[in-house]
Amino acid sequence: MPKLRAASLRNVLLIARREYRERIRTRGFLLTTIMIPLIMAGFIFGSLFLGSKASGDAQIAVVSSDTQLALDLQTELERRQQQQDESAAQSQEHAASRSQQKRQPRIFVDAMDPGPGTRAELDSDLKSGDLDGYLWITPAAAPGGRPTFVFTPRSSGQASIKNTLADALRQVLIREQLAHRGVVAAEVDTMLQPVTIVAARGFQHEDHESAEISVSVLFFVMYLVIMLYGMNVARSIIDEKTSRIFEVLLATIRPEAMMAGKIIGVGSVGLTQVGIWLSAVLLFAASSVGIHLGGDTLHISLTGPQVIFFFIYFILGFAFYSSIAAALGAMTNSEQELQQLNMFLMLPLLACFLMLGTLLTTPDSTLSRVLALVPPFTPLLMYFRVSLGHPAPWEVILSIVLTSASILGIVLVTSRIYRVGVLMYGKRPNLPEILRWLKYS
Amino acid sequence: MPIVQLNHVRKVYDTKVAVEDLSFSLEPGTMFGLLGPNGSGKTSSIRMMIGITVPDSGSVSLFDKPFARKYLARVGYLPEERGLYKKMNVLDQLVFLGQLHYVSASLAEKRARDWCEKLQITEAIPKKTEDLSKGMQQKIQFIAALLHDPELIIMDEPFSGLDPVNAALLMDTLLDLRRQGKAVLFSTHRMDQVEKLCDNIALIHRGRLVLSGSMHEIKSSYPRNRIQMHFEGGDGFLQSPKIESSKRYAGYAEIKLRPSATLADDAQALLAEALQYAHITQFEVSEPTLEQIFIEKVQETSPETNGSDLSLDQLEEPEGSYLDA
Repeated sequence: MPKLRAASLRNVLLIARREYRERIRTRGFLLTTIMIPLIMAGFIFGSLFLGSKASGDAQIAVVSSDTQLALDLQTELERRQQQQDESAAQSQEHAASRSQQKRQPRIFVDAMDPGPGTRAELDSDLKSGDLDGYLWITPAAAPGGRPTFVFTPRSSGQASIKNTLADALRQVLIREQLAHRGVVAAEVDTMLQPVTIVAARGFQHEDHESAEISVSVLFFVMYLVIMLYGMNVARSIIDEKTSRIFEVLLATIRPEAMMAGKIIGVGSVGLTQVGIWLSAVLLFAASSVGIHLGGDTLHISLTGPQVIFFFIYFILGFAFYSSIAAALGAMTNSEQELQQLNMFLMLPLLACFLMLGTLLTTPDSTLSRVLALVPPFTPLLMYFRVSLGHPAPWEVILSIVLTSASILGIVLVTSRIYRVGVLMYGKRPNLPEILRWLKYS
Repeated sequence: MPIVQLNHVRKVYDTKVAVEDLSFSLEPGTMFGLLGPNGSGKTSSIRMMIGITVPDSGSVSLFDKPFARKYLARVGYLPEERGLYKKMNVLDQLVFLGQLHYVSASLAEKRARDWCEKLQITEAIPKKTEDLSKGMQQKIQFIAALLHDPELIIMDEPFSGLDPVNAALLMDTLLDLRRQGKAVLFSTHRMDQVEKLCDNIALIHRGRLVLSGSMHEIKSSYPRNRIQMHFEGGDGFLQSPKIESSKRYAGYAEIKLRPSATLADDAQALLAEALQYAHITQFEVSEPTLEQIFIEKVQETSPETNGSDLSLDQLEEPEGSYLDA
């Protein structure tokens, strides 16, 4: 462990300050500060917009020589609509956003008899957009068999309509069979009554869903910023290598101090950026425009601890990944070479992204608990658990200790690679060479 | 008190020996030339003096004490290749590098401005480094090495890539610094610069010390067996048995006499002989130049390199990794 004297601390700060000042002045910083939230906002609003569009109302024609079947289907769909409206009204009080998001598409059905020109007529209606699809029912060939159903949608993306139709048809057929066997209609109704589960209020968060969204956005921001600035650390090292400024710096300061300064400097730029974004979002949310725009579907729900833990885990994550990035930068001589190696940075981060599903559904399962303690995953996953699950305090502390310890280990190894690697020009080293470097210096 | 001292230093990279059993020392107020072709171990030696690498065996001392990083604040270093932040403003850059050497920001700025004036590049101060010419960048680098008023100045190839006017300006500056009592060490493969500037030299080849000592001692230890003769007419006299080897150039010849107890007489006899063939306009007897000494030494240590055409530039190795240097 290198002794951290006042002198080297001073150098670390000098390096960090230079890095910070030079970076914050660049046009690139301004650009990403403005563009990334815009892109993300566009993404969120876009998907919300598309979502609402996809679950929009649909006009369907049902073509059947068996008029009764068509009419039954019509009634069934109407019944469903009614039930949905009722349950929506019920849940309105405590989860306003729920009905909006999980709503089934409303389907309006026209029953018609098949005629010689029917299909051509329906096809032209489809084309003109007057119709969203039609269901062609061919009666069963043999008595007792099921009729065949062919659904022609206007666009292939209307899976939900098809599912709703299939579901409704099944009900209609069951009803028909039951009636056939002499079951009274009222009894059938009770038998087929759907079971509804009303979600009870979570005891930790008043509005779990909004919290989930807010935390997910923060998760994404963390992922993005760690990736972006981790690569920036690597790039800036390559830059200094090609400009050979390293030799001048190494002649006065230790490689550890140089690396620490660089990571702190670049990391502070990242923190500044996130800070700007967070304050902008909070200001926006507090402003009347935000309240008007977001309404009750999109409001920011972050608690103080969530923000604090965000910064704690952001710093840990950044330190972890940027020290790996520093090693990558020290081993390579150009951006292109870095591209080939950056999977070492991307893969663990990407893995976190893939595990997000598990964490989101079961933040306190054994799998989630174990994954969140693995150092490369801790910053992102433990943050998620802290925000949405209920980790024991010792788990939080252990995760911080484990990650800090592994950061120290990585920094020690990296600074050796760094010391030799930054002075190594020419070809890229292979693994045995890197192992030899660890013995040098 | 030696400012810097190398004691039987050895540095091996992997299987390649970069520096082998190298010893020399440097006193304050003197200028020291570290000579050798590229790839001979000059840069490796310098890097051990400033703590970028550590010798495998042997020792380096700075200011008469075993090497410690804290002494580096008293050392100024100019790397072989420009090491500056390209995008950074020149003044910010100099102040930053000064601060790294424990000079306060305000003092660093004042000194930076003074030095820029002295080296005639005040117009560069507000510019970005990448907008400067190579020569100007070299001067900035030069200033960066001197901002903290170091007692020991180590410069790796300080004059390479400079035009004669600017090279002379930097040479004069180094001579000034020596006069102020600083110890200056620089590496080069330009022998003429060394002959002009250095009090002491160390000649290294393939990591080994080939020759070292004071310039005066080295030169006087060699016999005055070299003749440079400018002439018009025939050159049949070059066949004389007194001549060991000669090189014929346009209008003049460089001659090396055979070893003999009566060199001065041999030279006169040769002049008499030459007069029968040609009209002599200039005749100079001297000890070998440093370049000639160097080439001879290199040939002794590496018999496979063939003969008289060897020049320092041809000794340069292809650009490889640092580990090979």
